[in-house]
Amino acid sequence: MNHIFLITKREFLTQVKKKSFIILTLLAPLLLIGFGSVIGLMFKANESHSIIEVVDKNGLFKNHLKSTDQLKYVFVPTADEKAKMNTLKNNESLDGILILPELQNGNYEQLLSNTRLVINNKIGFDTKQKIVTDINEVIKKEKIKKLGIAENQLDNLDKGFTLKTINVSENNKEDSDLAFGVKSVLSMLLMYVTFMFIIIYGVRVMRSVLEEKNNRVVEIIISSVKPFELMMGKILGVTLVALTQFVVWITMSVIGALVLNTGFSSIPKNMPGGNEAMMSKFDILQMGTQISHSLLELNFPLIIFVFIIFFLLGYIFYSSIYAAIGSAVDNETETQQFTLFAVLPLMVGMYGSFTFMNNPDGPLGFWLSIIPFTSPVAMIARIPYGVPAWQIALSIVLLLGTTIFMIFLAGKIYRVGILMYGNKATLKEIWKWIRG
Amino acid sequence: MLKAEHIRKTYNAGKKVALDDFSIHVPKASIYGLLGPNGAGKTSFIRIINQITQADSGEIRINGQPLNPDHIKDIGYMPEERGLYKNMTVGDQLLYFGELKGMKKNDALQEAKKWFDKLHIDQWWKKKLSELSKGMAQKIQFVVTVLHRPHLLILDEPFSGFDPVNANLIKDQIIDLKNNGTTIILSTHRMESVEEMCDYVALINNSKKIIDGRVFDVREKFKKNIFGITLSDVDHSKLESFQSRYEVFNLANENNLLSFDLRNEADQNHILLDLVNVGKVRSFDEKIPSMNEVFINAVSNNS
Repeated sequence: MNHIFLITKREFLTQVKKKSFIILTLLAPLLLIGFGSVIGLMFKANESHSIIEVVDKNGLFKNHLKSTDQLKYVFVPTADEKAKMNTLKNNESLDGILILPELQNGNYEQLLSNTRLVINNKIGFDTKQKIVTDINEVIKKEKIKKLGIAENQLDNLDKGFTLKTINVSENNKEDSDLAFGVKSVLSMLLMYVTFMFIIIYGVRVMRSVLEEKNNRVVEIIISSVKPFELMMGKILGVTLVALTQFVVWITMSVIGALVLNTGFSSIPKNMPGGNEAMMSKFDILQMGTQISHSLLELNFPLIIFVFIIFFLLGYIFYSSIYAAIGSAVDNETETQQFTLFAVLPLMVGMYGSFTFMNNPDGPLGFWLSIIPFTSPVAMIARIPYGVPAWQIALSIVLLLGTTIFMIFLAGKIYRVGILMYGNKATLKEIWKWIRG
Repeated sequence: MLKAEHIRKTYNAGKKVALDDFSIHVPKASIYGLLGPNGAGKTSFIRIINQITQADSGEIRINGQPLNPDHIKDIGYMPEERGLYKNMTVGDQLLYFGELKGMKKNDALQEAKKWFDKLHIDQWWKKKLSELSKGMAQKIQFVVTVLHRPHLLILDEPFSGFDPVNANLIKDQIIDLKNNGTTIILSTHRMESVEEMCDYVALINNSKKIIDGRVFDVREKFKKNIFGITLSDVDHSKLESFQSRYEVFNLANENNLLSFDLRNEADQNHILLDLVNVGKVRSFDEKIPSMNEVFINAVSNNS
C-alpha cells in the first residue's frame, strides 16, 4: 500500500509540475471562450446587411414590408425607377431594386410573376428567401382580407399551444418542454465531460507507462515494487491530476460566472431567432427562473452520486486498458491500432446517448447504460431524466465487477509487457500473457 | 550468502528453456561473476533472485532463508536495460527510489549526500536528468542501485555503456563495497571486462552451468602447461637439440629475439636449466588461459 502511495505521489507531482500542465490548465478555459467568440464572430461577420430599394407601384406593400437588421427596405417613388436603375450598377451602397408591378383585376398571381428583383451583384440565398416570404405574407393577408376576415380574427386562428405532460411516477409533477430541455442539456454536458476525460486521461496513463518503458526505468522499479502496484499507482496518480484540473476549472468558471453575472441579462439578446426584440426583459427573467426551477427539481444528490461512481469506475476501467496497451508496445505510433479497442466502445456509448433525447427509457438507453463498456457514458447521459433504482444498481454492480476483472487482466498483460523491449506484441502474444 | 539449487525456468509454456538444473553458491563478501554469451540464461536467473519472475522449480536461499519479499530491501539491482526519469531532478529521483526500497526520507537523503561526496557530484542534486551527460547519468544510476545499503548487489552487464574512466571509478567502488562486506553478483557476456575483479565465477551456456568455482581454480583446471619463452643470443646448434627434447611451437624470430611456446608436464626448473644453455632467457611465463579461452574450452569439452 505504501508503494502505491509513493508511486501515486510521484506520478501526480511530476505531471502537475510540468509547464505544459500549468499552462493548459490555466489557459484552456480562456482558449475555450476565445474559440467560442471567434466562431460567433465568424457567423456574425458572414451575416449580410442588404439594402433593397422598393418601387411599389400600388402602394400595397408600404408599411407591410418590415425591415430587419439584415434586410432593409427603402421605398422610393415610382417616378425615380428609371434613374435608380441607371445608377444601380455603380451604386455600392445599394444591393438591389425590387419592382412590384401594379395589381391588375385583383390578379395577385400575375403580380407575383411580374415582380422583379434587379441586383448589381450577388445576393445571398437567405436574403432572397426572406424577400419572397415577406412578399408572400403581405399577399396572403391581402387575400384573406378580401375574404372578409378581420386581422385579429386571423391572429386568433394561428395560436399554438403546448401539451402539458404530467408524470405520475414523479409526484404528478409537471414535465414541461423546458424542463426536458434542461435535462437534455445537462445530460449531454455530463456525458461529454466524462467521455473527454476518460479519453484524455486514459491516454495520459498510457503515455506515462510508455515513458517508463522507453526510459528503461521500469525494471529498476519493479525490482522494488510489484507491477500491479506500479500500474495502480500510475492510474491513481493520473486520476488525481484529472481531479486537480477539474477543481481548477470549476473554480475558474464559478469566479468567471460571478464576475460576468452583472452582464447576464444582456446575453440572451444576442440569441439568433429574429423575434428577440419582442422578448421583454420580464420574459427573460421568467425563463431564467424556470430554468433554475427545473434544475432545482432534479434529484441532484442522486445525479452527483451516479456521476462520481460512473465517472471514476469508467475512468479506471478504461485507464487499465490504456495501461495494458502502453505496456504491450514500444512507442506511441504503435499504440494506434490498439487504442481503437478503448475508443470504439466509448464512441458507441456517446453517439447512442444522443438518441436518449427522444426516448431516455427506450431499449437502446437501457442496454447501453447496463453494458459495462458503454455504461460509464450512457448511464451518466440518462441519469438526469431519471432511471429506476434497480437499473442503476445492476449497472454499478456489473461495471464494478468488469472493472476489477479488467484491472486483473491489464495487470497480467502489464507484468509481461513492460519487460518486453524492441518488439510490438501481437494480439496472439497478449492472449498468451493473459493465460500464462 | 546466496545458494541456488536446481533452478529451472522455462518460457512459452515450457517450449523455451532458460535455466536448466542451475545451482550456484555465492559466498559472503565476494564478487561472483556469472559469465556466458547473450541468451545463456543469466538475466533469467537474476530476475528470479529479484523476484521479478519465479522459477518453475528449485530453491534459492539467502542467508539460509528461502527467498521472500523481505529480501527485496536487501538487494541492489542494476538491470541491463536501465535508465532513469528524464524529467525529475537527480535529488527527487534518489529519494523516490530510496523510499521505494523502504528507506526513510531523511535516511535516503543522508546516504545520497554521502555518495555524492564520494563521487564528487554534489553540485548535480537539483539538476534534471535530461541536463546531464550520459557518463553523469551512469554515476547516478549506480548511486540509485547502492543507495539503500544492500547486502547483495546484482549488476547485469555493469559496464556496458560506461566510458573507461567511469568504468574504472565504478570498479573501485564495487571493490570497496566488497571489502566492506557486500556480496556482489556480476553478470556479463564480456568476460575480459570483469575477470580480474571476480573471486568466483560460474560459466553458463545454453541454460546450463558448465563450470564454477574460484577464478584461480577454474583457470588452473584449464591450463595446458604451456610456457611462453623469449631468448636472445641464441646458440642455434644447442637450440636444435633442445627442440628434439621438448615440444616447441609458434617459433618467431624478431629483432634478434627468439620467442616460442613450449608444452611440458615436467618441472619448470628443468626447462629453465636447459634453456640457459640455449641462450639468454629474456622472459619465461606460464600461459594461464583467459576466461574467454576457458569458456571456449569448457563449451567444447561439454558438447
